Amino acid sequence: MVQTISILPGITLRCFQDNRFKQSCLTVQFVRPMCREEAAKNALLPAVLLRGCEGAPDLRSITLKLDDLYGAAIGPLVRRVGDYQSTGLHCSFVADKYALEGDKILEPMVDFLGKLLFAPVLEEGAFRKDYVNNEKKNLIATIEAEKNDKRAYAAAELLRRMCSEDSYGIPRLGTVSNVKAISAKSLYDHYCRVLKESRVDIFYVGSMDAQAVAAMTEKLFADKERCYVNLPEQTAFASPAGGEQQQVMDVAQGKLSMGFETDITLRSPQFVQMQVCNMVFGGGMTSKLFMQVREKNSLCYDIGSAYYGSKGILTVGAGIDCAKKDEVQEHILTQLEACKKGDVTDEELNAAKQALICSLQGVHDSAAGIENYYATGALSGQTMTPQQHSQAIEDVTKEQVQEMAKTLKLHTVFFLRGEG
Amino acid sequence: MEKRTYPALAEEIVWHTLPNGLPIAVIPRPGFTKKMAYFVTDYGAIHTSFTLDGEAYTAPAGVAHFLEHKMFDLPGRDVMAEFAAMGANPNAFTSYDLTAYYFSCTDNFEDCLKLLLQYVSTPYFTKESVDKEQGIIGQEIGMYADNPESRVWEELAKGMYEKHPICVPILGSKESIAKITPEILHACHKAFYRPGNMLLCVVGDVDPEKVCEIAKEILPETDTCQVQRVQSWPEEMTCPQPLVEKQMEVAMPMFQLGFKCEAPEKGEEAVLWETVGDLAAEALFGESSPLYLKLYEQGLIDSSFGGGFETVDGMAMLVASGDSDDPKAVQKAILQQAQTLAQEGLPEEDFLRMKRSAMGRRLKGLDSFDSVAFRVCAYYFSGFDYFRFPEIYQKVQPSHLQEFIKRVVTAQRSCLAVIYPKEA
Repeated sequence: MVQTISILPGITLRCFQDNRFKQSCLTVQFVRPMCREEAAKNALLPAVLLRGCEGAPDLRSITLKLDDLYGAAIGPLVRRVGDYQSTGLHCSFVADKYALEGDKILEPMVDFLGKLLFAPVLEEGAFRKDYVNNEKKNLIATIEAEKNDKRAYAAAELLRRMCSEDSYGIPRLGTVSNVKAISAKSLYDHYCRVLKESRVDIFYVGSMDAQAVAAMTEKLFADKERCYVNLPEQTAFASPAGGEQQQVMDVAQGKLSMGFETDITLRSPQFVQMQVCNMVFGGGMTSKLFMQVREKNSLCYDIGSAYYGSKGILTVGAGIDCAKKDEVQEHILTQLEACKKGDVTDEELNAAKQALICSLQGVHDSAAGIENYYATGALSGQTMTPQQHSQAIEDVTKEQVQEMAKTLKLHTVFFLRGEG
Repeated sequence: MEKRTYPALAEEIVWHTLPNGLPIAVIPRPGFTKKMAYFVTDYGAIHTSFTLDGEAYTAPAGVAHFLEHKMFDLPGRDVMAEFAAMGANPNAFTSYDLTAYYFSCTDNFEDCLKLLLQYVSTPYFTKESVDKEQGIIGQEIGMYADNPESRVWEELAKGMYEKHPICVPILGSKESIAKITPEILHACHKAFYRPGNMLLCVVGDVDPEKVCEIAKEILPETDTCQVQRVQSWPEEMTCPQPLVEKQMEVAMPMFQLGFKCEAPEKGEEAVLWETVGDLAAEALFGESSPLYLKLYEQGLIDSSFGGGFETVDGMAMLVASGDSDDPKAVQKAILQQAQTLAQEGLPEEDFLRMKRSAMGRRLKGLDSFDSVAFRVCAYYFSGFDYFRFPEIYQKVQPSHLQEFIKRVVTAQRSCLAVIYPKEA
């Protein structure tokens, strides 16, 4: 069970005590409203913090410290959940009992995390310029590298075009020009504001008990000046329809992406019904899209749908022969029509439910799974435990799936196609 | 049944071999709801030439992967739908030297296991279904052709090897898979999906006796055919093409730098060398190495940079890869640093810290069901018990690393493959 402890106004620790795992997990997230002005800064910040701190002023001394902690890892954490963006750090490390000669790992880990977060290397009242410039270059490379993976690129491009007036269309890492505009001073000022005003979510999975972890983490914030600013409420999707759009690249295979809107979000009572509807339609290897478009008509290798519950968006993606775009699109819409008509077999419904339930039941089997489920849930407002969530899925009927399908309206189509 | 325990890792494995020759490994995970079974054959993309009961076969490139796709067909049944109805996630993959079929589930474990064993042991190929699969795999080949990571790896393999079939893509080509027939699929299945050529590995809170009972009930009682692999791929330690350069739709140049190594044998000695290779990569250009810091601060590498020691049946190489504006400068810096390490060796303190870190990372990996099942299988076919890795780390000495770097990390053995962005 998750124990929730309020450390200070706006600072919450959630602990999942479990001694089955060899590795423990600790995350600290500063939660921000997703906006164009901040996205790039929030993405850049953890990378700069990971360049050096008091006692470990460069990359190598950080890695040596982590090596001493039995191969512990610390990485940047930048999540997008609905209208929120989080920025922070993620640590994984072996449990104390596997250390040699009674070495401790958790406590020095928390201390080190505190140094990285609150005692960065500074010069002239700002972050070090060379660190910032280096990480700006890396972040730009990461943003530009998105197009290397054509499937991910097409999916992200669809969302950007579909959500031109919604926060969901803001790139999670910002844009290249946003990154270029950041200076060591502007990033440092932003950092000070983030520390002072943001909601802070801390999550721990491991064998230590919650009170002990609370005592350790409390120390990190004890002497910090804070002025917590409440976050705005999450909003539903709203953006004008995008019609049919395309882009040409030198690719062998086309990527068809279709975006649908629905009023159903994870704040709606019908949320789990929509999850099941998505699974029946295109969510896995027994879905209509997979069975009909791939298996029956051999039109693609890769096809599937995804439901973004925090916004009320459902997308379909398929890797196809460029000449067959219209044919595939037709097949996809036909399968959605079938769902709308209630043409869903017991097998399809059961398989969709079982797939969702199976992944929910597996949540408690890894530290990373636990952290991701509950820490994301704390941001989105989805508070069911995996057990409760599974039960709700169990109760979904065919009629409800049909009703959910009827709420889906095609909003934008994006086709990434080859030349010629 | 034989139970082996590994107190330092808090692990155990229950081993059993069926009368038909199938080895079974069960790794208990008390208190976990997830259960996973891997049914793996010691047969992959590179094993295209063999004799079966005296008759010689040369199969088209891509046949192992094609067979993997076709195994999911059972006469009159829908394997995917049956797994789905039980809430299980089935999947499979083909690598250069093995093919794995697996599922994970929380309920209905025994029925899922039965289904896994049934479909993998039942060959059923028709002309129609083979034709249809050529369309699906054709699209899969197209997907990888657009993927710069797989392209740069394939270019590296072609640049480094002339005889070893690693220079042929696992999926084959549209042309090679067009030659695949139900007959050749039958021959490959008969030759390599014999119980004695496979391993069943289960991870989870299950009863090992029950697992053995089910395997005995479903699988053939005996394993009688005579199979010989034809695999002799003598290679020079130099590379046929030391530099391969291509262009694609990428944002920044993407490279893989390989150093050719002697093919390892099987067993503990081979695993020792693999560990030496991994630690040598760590010492040379790992995140805690002075070279990594230098290259990172110069902006020549970013966090995409990494590497290690890769082994496939009959070949081995040290690889470094990532994105860089100047891959040739990275290659030059690695070669220079290798010379320094080859002369001066590695400080004892750095070596111990590196070993501790590598051990810790392996230990963390034991929380992953997939990683445990896969490694136990892969190491079994290499003749080694995976959970003995702490002993191997104890045996590795700094001099091993120094000797390895001196021998392997040289300009003569290296090949650089780069995918550059398309010129506008």
